[in-house]
Amino acid sequence: MANQNTVKALVRRGLDEKTATKLADEGYTLSDVKGASLKDLTDVIGKEKAGEVSKKLGGKKAGKKKKSPKKKKEVEIDIPEKLPPLSTIGKKLQKLCEKDGYNLPYTVIRDAANKIEEENIPQKDYSLMMELINDRFENRLVDSKESVGIVSAQSIGEPGTQMTMKTFHYAGVAEVNVTQGLPRMIEVVDARKVPSTPMMEVHLKNEYKKNRDKAKELAFELEETHLIDMADVEIDLVNMMAIIKPYMKKVKSDNIDLDKVVERLKKTRRVTGNVTREGKEIHITLGEDNQSYATLHTTVEEAKNAKIKGLDGVKRAIIRDTGEECIIYTEGSNLGGALKIDLVDIEKTTSNSPKEICDVLGIEAARNSVIKEAMDTLNEQGLDVDIRHIMLVADMMTNEGSVKAIGRHGISGKKTSVLARAAFEITSTHLLRAAIVGEIDRLDGVTENIIVGQPITQGTGAIEVKYRPVKTAEANTNE
Amino acid sequence: MIRRGIAKRVGAIRFAYMSPEEIRRLSATKIITPDTYDDDGFPIEMGLMDTHLGVIEPGLRCKSCGGRVDQCSGHFGHIELAMPVVHVGYVKEIKKLLRSTCSECGRILMTDEEREIFISEMDGLRKLGGDPLDIRKLAKEIAFTARKSSICPHCDGQQLKIMLDKPTTFREENTKLTPKEVRARLEKIPDRDLIPLGLNPEFVRPEWFVLKVLLVPPVTVRPSITLESGDRSEDDLTHKLVDILRINHRLRENRDVGSPQLIVEDLWDLLQYHITTYIDNQTSGIPPARHRSGRSLKTLIQRLKGKDGRFRQNLSGKRVNFSARTVISPDPWLSINQVGVPVRAARELTVPMKVTAENIELIREMILRGPEPWEKGKYKPGVNYIIRPDGRRIRLTETNAETVAEKVEVGFTVERGLMDGDIVLFNRQPSLHRMSMMAHEVKTVPGKTFRLNLAVCPPYNADFDGDEMNLHVLQSEEARAEAKVMMMVQEHILSPRFGGPIIGAIQDHITGLFYLTHKNPLFSRRDVVSIFSNLVTEGSPEAITVDGERMWLGKDIFSHFLPEGLNIQLRSSICESCDTCKKRDCENDAFVVIEDGKLITGTIDESSVGAFKGDIVDKIARDFGTTEARIFIDRVTTLALGVITLKGFTTSIQDEDLPKMSVKQIEDTLLEAEEEVKEMAQAYRDGELEQMPGRTLQETLEVMALQKLGKARDNAGKIASKHLGLGNNAVKMARTGARASILNLTQMAGALGQQAIRGERPSRGYDQRTLPHFEKGELGAGARGFVKSSYKEGLNPIEFFFHSMGGREGLVDTAVRTSRSGYMQRRLINALEDLMVYDDASVRNPADTIIQFKYGEDGVDPMRSIKGKAIDMDDILMDMYAIKRERGE
Repeated sequence: MANQNTVKALVRRGLDEKTATKLADEGYTLSDVKGASLKDLTDVIGKEKAGEVSKKLGGKKAGKKKKSPKKKKEVEIDIPEKLPPLSTIGKKLQKLCEKDGYNLPYTVIRDAANKIEEENIPQKDYSLMMELINDRFENRLVDSKESVGIVSAQSIGEPGTQMTMKTFHYAGVAEVNVTQGLPRMIEVVDARKVPSTPMMEVHLKNEYKKNRDKAKELAFELEETHLIDMADVEIDLVNMMAIIKPYMKKVKSDNIDLDKVVERLKKTRRVTGNVTREGKEIHITLGEDNQSYATLHTTVEEAKNAKIKGLDGVKRAIIRDTGEECIIYTEGSNLGGALKIDLVDIEKTTSNSPKEICDVLGIEAARNSVIKEAMDTLNEQGLDVDIRHIMLVADMMTNEGSVKAIGRHGISGKKTSVLARAAFEITSTHLLRAAIVGEIDRLDGVTENIIVGQPITQGTGAIEVKYRPVKTAEANTNE
Repeated sequence: MIRRGIAKRVGAIRFAYMSPEEIRRLSATKIITPDTYDDDGFPIEMGLMDTHLGVIEPGLRCKSCGGRVDQCSGHFGHIELAMPVVHVGYVKEIKKLLRSTCSECGRILMTDEEREIFISEMDGLRKLGGDPLDIRKLAKEIAFTARKSSICPHCDGQQLKIMLDKPTTFREENTKLTPKEVRARLEKIPDRDLIPLGLNPEFVRPEWFVLKVLLVPPVTVRPSITLESGDRSEDDLTHKLVDILRINHRLRENRDVGSPQLIVEDLWDLLQYHITTYIDNQTSGIPPARHRSGRSLKTLIQRLKGKDGRFRQNLSGKRVNFSARTVISPDPWLSINQVGVPVRAARELTVPMKVTAENIELIREMILRGPEPWEKGKYKPGVNYIIRPDGRRIRLTETNAETVAEKVEVGFTVERGLMDGDIVLFNRQPSLHRMSMMAHEVKTVPGKTFRLNLAVCPPYNADFDGDEMNLHVLQSEEARAEAKVMMMVQEHILSPRFGGPIIGAIQDHITGLFYLTHKNPLFSRRDVVSIFSNLVTEGSPEAITVDGERMWLGKDIFSHFLPEGLNIQLRSSICESCDTCKKRDCENDAFVVIEDGKLITGTIDESSVGAFKGDIVDKIARDFGTTEARIFIDRVTTLALGVITLKGFTTSIQDEDLPKMSVKQIEDTLLEAEEEVKEMAQAYRDGELEQMPGRTLQETLEVMALQKLGKARDNAGKIASKHLGLGNNAVKMARTGARASILNLTQMAGALGQQAIRGERPSRGYDQRTLPHFEKGELGAGARGFVKSSYKEGLNPIEFFFHSMGGREGLVDTAVRTSRSGYMQRRLINALEDLMVYDDASVRNPADTIIQFKYGEDGVDPMRSIKGKAIDMDDILMDMYAIKRERGE
């Protein structure tokens, strides 16, 4: 599970891929490698390589021993079953299907089982029922050669004209603005890195889910707070120091530990000088040797922007009590950070950005996220679109292991056919490039065949009828 | 048009770069003179319009192939350039090559071993299925690695930094590299070294990127047009080629006489400029070449690019014959499967018929009737053309009909006009989904408009306020068969978008059926005859005897059109969703029960038969077949129109009348809300307003005010609708789903409510106020776009202004939305168009990548699903009980 970015960065600096992967696997980042001592490196990749690595990357002289890079914590998570197990009746039905050779999907069997329970159908009727279901089910299947792609694209695109353009709407909570309607749909399909209104829905672990205090605690932990949000910062030019006066109200309500603030400030880069706590105030005094106004100024500015607590990017966290449980909605998103917090229910917590989900949870989760976001947007607008269409779009977007956009930079740009690419966008570049590598267009797709003027290869165009005339005696005599 | 033999398919197209030799070989003539025509108007030899390059004027013959205008598609020529010039499309490629190869020996800047490693890596990528794009990316990385070494590993030559001064000049440190030098360097690169750099030496040599010979396209590609005044106007490409030739000529002269270096170089640069713009006239960094009028020229790349370019305009979409377009109008007497084609269009549009031994007599008769036959004032299809087996067409006229009829033999083709029952395609733009183009049966009608049944308006999204539609006549038996089986309107009753009906009753149909079935009214014989007079049906509905007279119940009349064996239960649109549903005993008659094709209880309205929602239509289409569904829709809509014609239906401003009491009540509610908002605003100013978490004080006020005023409008609406019962025609329409909504009614009768701009109360305009009628900083309801009046009362000027603001926003919104969603759909279609279901139900793309192992995870076609579900268990149970009953269990 090496961080691909690190590997790439290391390779670019002249390491071979194997070594780079090894290092990244151990949890090294680029700066870790740069700072690591020869010995640390030797432990991981052997002496020979270590020497080479430190020669190539040893920006900082060895000896300044850095904390050894954090080993990746092995986290064990129970992977939840994708589908809840069938009831006893369901299992019986499943057996029946196996016996009779019916190939029915899980949902159908589950629905049948539920209906049986609901209506108290005697067991002797099960087989008749499954037979009827199977007969109908077979009629519901898609035809082979059906051009499902176009149907899906039309089914999503056509209602686009009926969507509103109004960007903001309150989804669930009045306090959080969320992009809705057509702009949101376009955003999902575009696979933007960061959506225009990133949002998280953070659930608490089951045992705390009704605990408002815990929810509050979590919300504070999530919300990003800078020094300037919680205190006045004054400059004392006479003593060459900065005086930080926290708003006591805020400190109390948000449960901020001032000592921790001091710690934070000490660690903050470019905050030079001595940070001390003086009762309810915090002072930053410049050292004797460094008494320039410029330094004081930068120190104050940096201190103001110092992050005191919270997750990067989470601007606001709002608690909503549904009665069932407390859910925290955040403006701004940092899923990776949120999942590390103990109070958080890892399974339920989500973000509204498929790309982020892809980075944190992987591609399968990202696919589900695309489906969810697209479905939610359509449903919110009261538009009825079958989920299969959206699944197809999501599968197409995530097929290659990363979330790809629908459009020039994503899927359309990756098409194998030169003509299809040229017909979509940036015509000339594609043609010029194709010439110098001697690209071949095999005319498998739709656009290409339309361009050369022959039937497309889907639907009725995918099959051919061959006719071999039978020579009859009559025909022979005629000739 | 007779197609013979086996249709061949183009298997693949290979793209490659043309070498100078190939250009010379291909060239029909060398072009020297920049002039086009001589004084007599004849093309000059070795000029740009040389007849070796093909002909564009009728009468002339091509000197290369001897063909006439329509026979010769043209031939290429060439220009020998005095000095080599860089091809703009490949400057980046040249830069990459110069940087990653040695300036001395031309070898790639890496050892042979490294090179071989990279080549094998590339092969590996190709084997793993890497497409040309992946390989390009790898080549880029390789080039990046190569150019980092500053000393050539082969000849130890020092490498200087090579820069590209956009668009076409190369520099090495500070000395300019002439194209000639560039070419010399590129020539030195060995073939094998090109492979890791992403070039395929089988198809391209890098020195070809520096042009010595220029290919001249045939005249047929750049035809000149003769204006009315007799002047010739040349194509943009010809203009550009003339420029190139002139400069080329001057450059050659100057070079040969040994002019100063400076002049030669200037001319050389000028030639470079002309050739650059000849290829791409939108190259950044240089001014586009312009026409005398100031319009910039459309040169090679501009011809291909963009929406109006060759690709999107002429290759992805093509113009067709045998099509017609006119205004549409409604015709309730047509079936949904039909389209009314006006006689004039039917005469013009033709269907080819092959003459066979079986039909020759019939065709003779047809021809004898002439091109425009009428029979007893009725349209009869005529024959427009007769095509002989050798391809000659004979136009049929009144005068030659008899002679032609005699000549016709088996093997001829006859183009006859449309007749009833022909299959045509009918289309309305924008074609957003496949239901925008469906096959109809022709029915010739008088007048000048296409006619269509009202039930097919929803799929086309058509109305009759001037909409036009297109009609295409199919020309082959195969096409007709395919259209009939797959594209007929009846095959599209169910939409693949959501697995429900998209064709069904609309507007008056629904009101009519409401009148027919709600509370089961009685109809006299007279009424029934009147209703049925326009219907085609067998038998008659069951009658009952009331006071000794035969009478008919509305529900029985409706049941007459339901197929036998139909069982369904559903809630009507007029259902009030009471806390406990009384089902069959519903006092609103809002619970529809149909047993064995008999309507037992319930009112038929939108949720039974409406487009998008009609569950009965859905069920019939699914369980009884599309033909049955079509018949049902045809008959039920006609029935509904019969009823509504009998009963009469209107709505007027009086439908929004309210008793004085309620008007007062509404006024009070609104005033109260207004007052409350005023208080809130005061509280805000005093800083007493309690802030919402995460919002500013002002935002809090806005949110609260919006909520308050929204509620006030709702309350006003509630008061109004209390007095608007189902006896009211406007309410009937809204509740049954025929047209409008309750919200529309409350806005007419009660109050319009808050006008919103970008989802907020209007706040801009004047300094701290929306209009000068208010005080600065006023935050009350009225000052921020709350409209107390109803449409019926009329708006005061201020309210009218706010309302216009909201209205304008709506208009802008629509305009922006259509373009944005259009682009989104284009991208979606482009991304997904190649996906297809395979025999194993997997979805794959042409590269054979599996996108889904089983389509939609269960392999179910959304169109055949029941609102997305594969199986409706209630159906199964009903079937099961029916079978058990039969078995006597």
